[in-house]
Amino acid sequence: MPGEKGIYMKQRLELKVNGQTYEVLVDPWQSLADVLREELGYTGVKVSCNSGNCGSCTVLLDGKAVKSCIMLAPLAKGKEILTIEGLATESNLHPLQEAFIEHFAVQCGYCTPGMILMAKALLDENPNATEDEIREGLVGNLCRCTGYVKIVEAIMAAKEKMKVTSSR
Amino acid sequence: MAGHSVVGKSIIRLDALDKVTGKAKYCEDLKLPGMLYGKVLRSPYPHAHITSIDTSRAENISGVRAVITGRDVPEKRYGPSVFDQHTLARRVVRYVGDPVAAVAADSVEVAERALGLLKVEYEKLPAIFDIEEAWEKNPPVIVHRDLPKYELGKFPPPRLVPDRPNVCYLRTLRHGDVERGFKEADLIVENTFSTTRLQHCPFEPHVSIAQAESDGSLTIWAGRQSIFLARQYLCKIFNLLPSQVRVIASHYVGGAFGCKVTLYTEPIAAMLSMKTGRPVKLTFTREEMFSSGGTRIPFVIRIRDGVKKNGTLVARDMEMLLGMGAYAGSGPLITRNCIYATVATYRIPDAKIDAYAVYTNEPPVTSFRGFGSTQVLWAVESQMDVIAEELDMDAVELRRRNLLEEGDTNITGEIVHSIGVRECLDKVADSLEWGRRSKKEVGPWKRGKGLALGNKYSMAPTGALAIVKVRGDGIIEVHESADEIGQGCNTVLAQIAAEEFGVSVDEVKMVWGDTAFTPYFSRGSTSQRTTFNVGNAIRLACQDAKRQIFEIAAERLHEPPQDMDIKDGTIYVRSNPSQGMSITELFTSERTLLPGEFGDFVEKSAEILGKGVWVTRPAPSDPETAQIPENVARMGGRLAGFFGYGVQGVEVLVNTETGEVTIEKVVAASDVGYPLNPKMCEQQIEGGVAMGIGSALWEEVALDQGKVLNPNFGNYKMVTSMNMPKTDNVKVFLISAPHKEGPYGAKGTGETQMTPTAPAVANAIYNAVGVRIKDLPITRERVFRALREKAGE
Repeated sequence: MPGEKGIYMKQRLELKVNGQTYEVLVDPWQSLADVLREELGYTGVKVSCNSGNCGSCTVLLDGKAVKSCIMLAPLAKGKEILTIEGLATESNLHPLQEAFIEHFAVQCGYCTPGMILMAKALLDENPNATEDEIREGLVGNLCRCTGYVKIVEAIMAAKEKMKVTSSR
Repeated sequence: MAGHSVVGKSIIRLDALDKVTGKAKYCEDLKLPGMLYGKVLRSPYPHAHITSIDTSRAENISGVRAVITGRDVPEKRYGPSVFDQHTLARRVVRYVGDPVAAVAADSVEVAERALGLLKVEYEKLPAIFDIEEAWEKNPPVIVHRDLPKYELGKFPPPRLVPDRPNVCYLRTLRHGDVERGFKEADLIVENTFSTTRLQHCPFEPHVSIAQAESDGSLTIWAGRQSIFLARQYLCKIFNLLPSQVRVIASHYVGGAFGCKVTLYTEPIAAMLSMKTGRPVKLTFTREEMFSSGGTRIPFVIRIRDGVKKNGTLVARDMEMLLGMGAYAGSGPLITRNCIYATVATYRIPDAKIDAYAVYTNEPPVTSFRGFGSTQVLWAVESQMDVIAEELDMDAVELRRRNLLEEGDTNITGEIVHSIGVRECLDKVADSLEWGRRSKKEVGPWKRGKGLALGNKYSMAPTGALAIVKVRGDGIIEVHESADEIGQGCNTVLAQIAAEEFGVSVDEVKMVWGDTAFTPYFSRGSTSQRTTFNVGNAIRLACQDAKRQIFEIAAERLHEPPQDMDIKDGTIYVRSNPSQGMSITELFTSERTLLPGEFGDFVEKSAEILGKGVWVTRPAPSDPETAQIPENVARMGGRLAGFFGYGVQGVEVLVNTETGEVTIEKVVAASDVGYPLNPKMCEQQIEGGVAMGIGSALWEEVALDQGKVLNPNFGNYKMVTSMNMPKTDNVKVFLISAPHKEGPYGAKGTGETQMTPTAPAVANAIYNAVGVRIKDLPITRERVFRALREKAGE
């Protein structure tokens, strides 16, 4: 039982987050989202449903989107974890971040980090994604404020910018 | 509107950068040194006596710092209208999820384990769930036996109905003589409609951190709406003075939609902190949000309308039952105000409305975007289509014939002002190609169009204060207490201050959300009141600050202050614009001082503080008839701050074999008075439409014997990216019917946007397949059954 003394021991875990390596002691039942937020201070990882349904906690693991609230932290061992805090470079926002700002795709902001990272995974895999493919790709990332219209528009706009950037 | 440089433009949201980089901080992200975590034990029964609670085992776990039960909470009940609630149940639980005990521990996990070791014994009591049954004169169960003895509040003053023991509020409207009206009617149409419970699903759940200070005062960090309202309640509960309670929400809030106006976590966290002396954080789980975090009020609405053959409405009689659940909360206020939805749009010579707030043993309700208007309009706007059908008249034409116009008198006696509904209707009908039959039907999928008219008032009395500080570095610092719940109020309010000073929003700094430092805003960002009320307070504060600036500049420039104006941060003389000085020059002495030097800076212009006070007062109205006296109305007396209007049309596909409905196109036009930031108006409209579609087709907090069956985002179905039409098929139009008191003519717009969606969808479904669904949500099963029934005829 969690918290009962003598039943388990905390595990030492090495995690690589946004290019930084951390050593943390985690409870075996702790989710990746919990460790990122509570132990390492990456509060850009948002937990909303805590059941893998809404995608607010989406982070990238070796470039693939995962819902970190339903993934046990030790499973992220040895992987490159990208959270929203690691997306912009020191001097530049990522095109998706720029587009979310310019296209008014942000309201309360709680779904935003997960939404942006999901969009990145989607466009990295399919740089020519159509609007239908984008909407389909976002189906596991819920938003209560926006009605998705401006989010989809932002991703479509970022797609073009990302093509230009990657062809340079 | 010409001549504005900052308002009217889609200025980038001030919060967007922090929100796309993960830097934005929410209450749920905050941690304090020594902070404990709270958890709440809840009733598993819908109605029971608590016979005993044994806390000893839970208290003995290592890491548990406090356990509290109903014995520890103040004896006095609280609430906005009926004081019917304790922080923790004392002797009786009245719904599944009623808080019974709470624990503070070193970690969430220890707190959860402690809950499992609390031993509570109950004696079950019979419970009541059906609103109509609970409303009866001799109901089988009375939810609050002591209701007649309860202390009563003011929002609104309760109106009990002695022979209906579960009714805690009755609202009545009488206009003209409704029976005479029906006698004149050529056709009488009567229907019963109902709506279900929704949960707001703000992505950040209810959360607060409480710190009981050593001097007996209380500090609360909260993810909520309306910090001053929270302060008032906390003072009432704990018998503290306003200066002893500090509520802080100067961080962002992850959505609210109405539910964060009620106290859920704060009093429990406060009691745990009082017991331990340490800060205590209490975050609701998603499951708790559904069972105990407030839901939208379910309505049963009987509507009877009389019309002439030519479509003129002559009489309307409505009887509405609103299910409060176990505690009334803001329910009586919703019962009082929901009737305004019927008031706002149509001319009705004779009208009668009765609305009852009814207790049941279901989870308590709270305010939800629309505050009852949405539910009332579900009935009214569905009914308008039924009438059109029976008269064999076009549904748009029927509505056009009955619309109120500027200067008309509505059914409360108010003289109508700022009504852009006709223009909205024209836009939507035009864009939807109303009257042209849709093509492209494939197999079992049938296509249909429907529309509906929406409106939402902004409640009064209300008021806001704003302080504007002009800083020595030229920055305009605006202090106000609107809640940044995702609607982007800070951006719009900064635009207003920037416009007044003729600077860009980059020169404006917003300071908000702390009852100890930011000025009063009654009831906070609710009832779509922020732009109108806080915006006006800011305008006045800016004008006050400018007056002072001009006085200082006048002395320096040897010109009269009334000749001064300001643009781009430069104060200039109107008659001689080349003569002027910058804001920063007002503070020259500060800029030339060395560290520690005093000079004459303080006497001259250390701080320029402008103060603005804005109050919106409603006209007095008769408590029995809801009528505003004629002489008061003629003098401009009004019901509410303003009415926002929105018309929406949808095109749907309905599968005649499965009952499935998809939304192919949405057209939304909204009268916002004046769009201060057009893109942000669109945000509200698109978001309202999405929530409206969810409420129309899927959203329902399903209950069985009062227990929530679907308390998570997996089983409570909200709209996804796939349920919205393609971006090209979502059309938004902003209409301006300027309000004479609105800042630059603007009215609020957040709530209006959900009010027409559900009936528009229902009307489109009828248009497609000829079945009329009268109960929300319009599930696939309901459509399927209705289609079968129709085929059997």
